Amino acid sequence: MFRQRLFWKLFLSFWLALLLFAIGVLYAASAYLDATRQRYDGPNNRERGDPTFNVAQAAADAGLAELQNWARHADDSELVPMLVLNAQEKDILGRDPSSRALARLAYNLKNYNEDKTSGRPSRRQPIVLPDGQQYWLVPDFQSATLSRLISRPRVVATQLILATLIGAAVCLALAAYLTFPLRRLREASVAYGSGDFSHRVAPTLGSRRDEIVDLAQSLDTMAERIDALIAAQRGLLRDVSHELRSPLARVQVAVGLARQRVGNQADEELTRIDAEMDKLNELIGRIIDFSRLDAGLQQARHDELRLEQIVADVVDDVRIEAEAKGCNIETRAPAHAVCKGDAALLASAIENVLRNALRHSPAGGQILVALEGSEAQWTITIADQGPGIPEALHAKVFEPFFRVDDHRNPQGGIGLGLAITRQALSAHGGSIELKNRSTGGLEVSLHLPATLEKNA
Amino acid sequence: MSKLLIADDDVELCALLRTYLGAEGFDVHTVHDGLQALERAMAETFDLVILDIMMPGQDGLEVLKQLRRRQLTPVLMLTARGEDSDSITGLELGADDYLAKPCNPQVLVARIRAILRRAEPPAESVPSSQLSVGDLSLNRQSRKLYKNSAPVELTSTEFSVIEVLLREAGAVVSKDQLSRAALGRELGRYDRALDMHISNLRHKLGPLADGSERIVTVRGSGYQYVIE
Repeated sequence: MFRQRLFWKLFLSFWLALLLFAIGVLYAASAYLDATRQRYDGPNNRERGDPTFNVAQAAADAGLAELQNWARHADDSELVPMLVLNAQEKDILGRDPSSRALARLAYNLKNYNEDKTSGRPSRRQPIVLPDGQQYWLVPDFQSATLSRLISRPRVVATQLILATLIGAAVCLALAAYLTFPLRRLREASVAYGSGDFSHRVAPTLGSRRDEIVDLAQSLDTMAERIDALIAAQRGLLRDVSHELRSPLARVQVAVGLARQRVGNQADEELTRIDAEMDKLNELIGRIIDFSRLDAGLQQARHDELRLEQIVADVVDDVRIEAEAKGCNIETRAPAHAVCKGDAALLASAIENVLRNALRHSPAGGQILVALEGSEAQWTITIADQGPGIPEALHAKVFEPFFRVDDHRNPQGGIGLGLAITRQALSAHGGSIELKNRSTGGLEVSLHLPATLEKNA
Repeated sequence: MSKLLIADDDVELCALLRTYLGAEGFDVHTVHDGLQALERAMAETFDLVILDIMMPGQDGLEVLKQLRRRQLTPVLMLTARGEDSDSITGLELGADDYLAKPCNPQVLVARIRAILRRAEPPAESVPSSQLSVGDLSLNRQSRKLYKNSAPVELTSTEFSVIEVLLREAGAVVSKDQLSRAALGRELGRYDRALDMHISNLRHKLGPLADGSERIVTVRGSGYQYVIE
């Protein structure tokens, strides 16, 4: 039963809230009535300086009309009607007195007359008009009905507002207590969604024990497992890539030996083997570069750089291939674009995007490379006239080994370019953004804070 | 015949390299761990030591550090791609150059020849074997540098770099020019080799008498040796 702690928490808190509310209302009502009765039934009201009596007498001093005004005002602002009766049981405003009120009046009159005949100072005094008419203030507790209360909202407004505020505060605290772990869970699932599986929820919930914490714990366990699996997968990839290098190094020397012996007879084949091995080496190198960035092993250097120079160098590198395809690369950059960062990393980030743009450009297409911004943030935008990338895949293209055209396109990359670019930028505290242009083609923006903080 | 020591834990690769480099006219000796590498390099005289960084026992960087305490034999480091910090540390410790592994053996041979060439004393016909700039004087024949007549211990690559800078003292030497003349190769785009040699030279030579930098970096163009 107590495993379902959240269930009981909800049950008990609602129950308790209702109970407290009922008790509060009852207590407030009885306290109010008690106070009114006490005020009236106490010792001599004149000697006591009863404010109600004094105000009423002051009104009476100004005449009947003024006393009626006062009575009307008092009737509007008090829950218990204060009758103003003469000895003939007639109310000054024509209200109907209840039997208890009349009994009270009779009791008052009896006391008053007795006191008068015995010569004692009277405990209760009537209100006296200038013409000598006497009126008795008699509270009519029987007539304090709910409909009176509802037609006089201002009577309880202050208490009501106070009660509402206190109630709101209590409910707010309760709601926050119940939902704050849900917010943590949400933050965690958002983090997992963006690929950060290092987030843990349960430790942030303290000593709390309920179904939400159980959920948090199972979520943590899941994240831990996924984290381990991904790490193992990436680790395997990295290890395999490292291991591939040794045989590759041997093959390269072996091919060198073959070239020494029979170079003339098989030159074409050996050159081809060399070229393919260079590609293989490049591929392995890229996987290792990505793994290092991904594992956070590679820290971005913090050199002062001329970004426009890096962009120009990369464009120069790619231009030869672009020209072979009849494509034109147009560059727009300011004369000085100083930033801090790692030249090699940034160049590879830009180059990956630019090569992608070239790969997907139609023959004779135009590629625009624009460097804009200021000391605070630089943005390198690379726009092509290719087919673009469907909106739904924009998040996926940064995954390693993801390729938009699924079939093995011999011209296509291995799907690491954008993954490396994103890692390289995030190592600089920057970000990357994709957008399909309205005129067709893809626009990739690389945002780079100029004065970056080193990524810990 | 130049005598090379190759330290690499890949025994088969070493055997292949011995055959390949042998055919290219080198006398190749191989060891497979750091301790042996240091022992052999200390005991015998080699024209060039090729050190792989990843080795059991002592890694290549440690061997280089120990070696440089005793002698200035030219050293070529073999680094793994992407491990830029290794190559920079290697150059700081006084390696003459580095090469990312795996590499084409033709590139390796070119790199070896470039290092050996600058380690060799020039032919007799060098016009003026003495060169003096300020408190430095340089003897091309013996490949020795003196500061206020006291010899300064330099690796052969550092000597080649300072030789070019002193020959052109007062003028800016571009990085490309300096790299071709002193390292015997084109500089890769983000190659820090030259920067590291310059940094080592600054460290070994100290500032000028007035406390200012001896070799200044001219942004975007190259280096300049300042004439007092």
